Amino acid sequence: MSTLIEVSHLDYVYPDGTPAVFDVNLTIDKSEFIAFIGQNGSGKTTLSKCLNGLLKPTSGSVIVEGIDTRSRGVIKQLVTKVGYVFQNPDHQLFNDSVEKEIAYGPRNIGLPEAEVMARVREAAAVAGVGPDHFATHPFFLTKGLRQRVAIASILALKPHTIVVDEPTTGQDMPQSIEVMNFLQRLWKEEGHTIIIITHEMSIVARYAQRVVVLGQGRVLLDRATREAFAQPDVLKQTFVEPPQITRLGQVLNPHLPRDVLTVEEMQARFEAARKK
Amino acid sequence: MAMAVVIKDLEWKYEHTTQFALRGVNLEIPENTFLGLVGANEQGKTTLINCIKGLIPHSFNGVYRGSVEVFGQVVKDTTSLHLAREVGLVFADPEAQFTAMTVEEELVFGLENVGYDIRKIRARLEWAAEVTLIGDLLDKSPYDISGGQKQRVAIACVLAMDPRIVIMDEPTSMIDPLGKQFIFDILRKLKEAGDRTIIVVEHNIEQLAPLADQLALMRAGQILKVAPPDEFFADPDFLVEQGVYSPEVTLFTGWLRRQGRFPASAPLPRDLAGGVAAARAALDMGGRA
Amino acid sequence: MTTTVETAPAGVRAPKMRKTLLGYIPIASPFYAYHPVTRLAMYIFFGVVPIFIDLPEINFVLLLIMLGLLRWGKVDLGRLRIYLPLIVSVAIFMFTMVLIFPGRDPSYTPVTIGPATLYYQPVFFTFASYWRLMAMLFGTILYFSTNRERDTLVALRAVRLPFIASYVIGLSIRSAGMFMEDFRTIREAEQARGLDTGAMKFSDQVKLYMMYLIPLFSIALRRADEISNALFARGYTLTGRVEGGGQRSDYILTQYRMQLKDWVWIVIFGVLFVAAAVAQYGFGAFRLIHSPLNLYLRSLLGIG
Repeated sequence: MSTLIEVSHLDYVYPDGTPAVFDVNLTIDKSEFIAFIGQNGSGKTTLSKCLNGLLKPTSGSVIVEGIDTRSRGVIKQLVTKVGYVFQNPDHQLFNDSVEKEIAYGPRNIGLPEAEVMARVREAAAVAGVGPDHFATHPFFLTKGLRQRVAIASILALKPHTIVVDEPTTGQDMPQSIEVMNFLQRLWKEEGHTIIIITHEMSIVARYAQRVVVLGQGRVLLDRATREAFAQPDVLKQTFVEPPQITRLGQVLNPHLPRDVLTVEEMQARFEAARKK
Repeated sequence: MAMAVVIKDLEWKYEHTTQFALRGVNLEIPENTFLGLVGANEQGKTTLINCIKGLIPHSFNGVYRGSVEVFGQVVKDTTSLHLAREVGLVFADPEAQFTAMTVEEELVFGLENVGYDIRKIRARLEWAAEVTLIGDLLDKSPYDISGGQKQRVAIACVLAMDPRIVIMDEPTSMIDPLGKQFIFDILRKLKEAGDRTIIVVEHNIEQLAPLADQLALMRAGQILKVAPPDEFFADPDFLVEQGVYSPEVTLFTGWLRRQGRFPASAPLPRDLAGGVAAARAALDMGGRA
Repeated sequence: MTTTVETAPAGVRAPKMRKTLLGYIPIASPFYAYHPVTRLAMYIFFGVVPIFIDLPEINFVLLLIMLGLLRWGKVDLGRLRIYLPLIVSVAIFMFTMVLIFPGRDPSYTPVTIGPATLYYQPVFFTFASYWRLMAMLFGTILYFSTNRERDTLVALRAVRLPFIASYVIGLSIRSAGMFMEDFRTIREAEQARGLDTGAMKFSDQVKLYMMYLIPLFSIALRRADEISNALFARGYTLTGRVEGGGQRSDYILTQYRMQLKDWVWIVIFGVLFVAAAVAQYGFGAFRLIHSPLNLYLRSLLGIG
């Protein structure tokens, strides 16, 4: 069965009464690369936290690989299915050495020590954290390394699905590309399902195959990236604009296609458009 | 034209580091112009603006060589209070810039510091709130407002002190798209008013390019290129090597030019409208039916 | 192109309460018509006068008055539910203590209830103390449910607290707020790594709280740097000195005006405060021997 997460009629209302998410229905399968987009307050962070049980539905259900997130005492199981990487690595690093940090998750779920150490080595290697950093206190690492340690500590739990909150915020283009390429490798080569929450549409256009657009707590669109960006009117409801090159095509439609995702693609399709 | 900022042979090394963060920077910023400062992270952009603002050398220890002058005054020898009146600085993190209990207090704080009386404070407060559209937020506390709104408050605080130079260090990097739009609208308004020198460090080149009179590229503590946008974007591959990605329409039109569908003499567009015009012309040039 | 803001989407209730560091306050309240100094005076009255009063009846009445004031002040009483655990656990704690450790005194009257033997005097004393504590607690709840941080600082500055002290207090309050938000995020991040606090031993939970210090301090240290840069950029010098030397304007303070009703209430609170102190320490007016409940119970037990 290739469905990993099944969300049915999910509602979430915060304890102080603020409604966040209404009647969301979603299916997430193996090996997908999904982007959640939408204005702040649209519910994308709330929805993603419902996927690993950090938040329990007020009504409706979220079933993760057969486990209902509303059940009690399932946290330790859920974190091995869905990993969540927070935006600011400083919020997630609370051990005094990189090694202990990466080992924290596996130890928490009660794995034998030998297994824990093997996972630490593996996760660090995949995330690009060299063993020479293992004894360092995370406070003294660069921001990029801290982010990689945070990712490694989630990878160590071997979840099938990984949610990354704002992978590229505050970074320059080369750094953003590096992180996104890494996530892409996790998806293509290791078979993870990756869900990114982001505001950067050109990143979404280049890396995500599917886009879930949220506005005021509801799913406005749940489509392949190309189809989603071809509907700027819907996106506008949640203050999202397609990438600049896509908009170029949309303004000059029908002379140019309205669903171009990258500059390279526009170049390729321009010739065909011109010949018409 | 009068120069707002004159930087000569500026070198700076933070204490406890081995490398110089700034290695001989020379830059002149004319008064009432808009300078965009771009480049990959950790190349010296923040360090440079800290030098213009005076945070370096007043708040940091290290080795300082060369000079920075703001309207003829040497920054190294000017007090922080005086600098606050001349140079305003907005940082990237909206949380760290909000230290008071309400928006109104936050705005008033800097104004009280420079010794204005009640009437003047009220006038400055009202003007700054209007420019940044935060009039209805005055009574709110930091828990009630979003990051984008906090950032607009930070900009209002800086503007309220009426500095002749306004610097913003990645003002939108931690802000959501709607908030980003608000902030770039404010920058547009400031540019149109034309009575302040504006320096903005940004990664969002797409929004920055249409506003800038000049763009400066920083790499490894030096300025590699300073030019008006047309000239700046002429060689997009060079920019990519330095970690700077031109706006998509600029890249696309650059390609059109290489295909011979866009005149070599015309400036490359830096916003969507310009891109549309260029693409339309290129479509026509090919003899579209 | 200008950006416009749209009104709140349909279905979202306009909030009646606004959040402060220590709780929630109503958006509109008749209390706000009074100067913060008056409200501070009321806090001092309700918070301190119970100390003078041993009689549980009077403290109970004070409590009822405060509940009435909360209601009048448009505070959402439902939100006060968060204090219930505190109220109940203090009660349980105090009564358990007096049952186990009544103290020894020959004048104590034993009362047998089933298998347990209580001693009347310490139990009644604890009962009276409990109501005193509750009155003081509600004084604090009343104050923090009707005053925001800014009101407290304005009140302190109005009674001539130096600006720098007020600023440091304000900064601490703001930092505490940021601290708490970071704390919440860190807890979520831990949960995302499999931490299940429900399933933990108490000693492990204590160790856990020590662990929070590491990221909290990292974040606080980094932020402190940024805050001090931001302060520099606003021209703030540690002394609060103003450029050109001269008096610092206090714009916020000028936004509040003392009216007749403020002076009237301050005088009333002041007079009642002094009267209560004098009555108790000069004449013993509020001592337990005057309590009707006490007298009644004693007569039931046959004590003089």
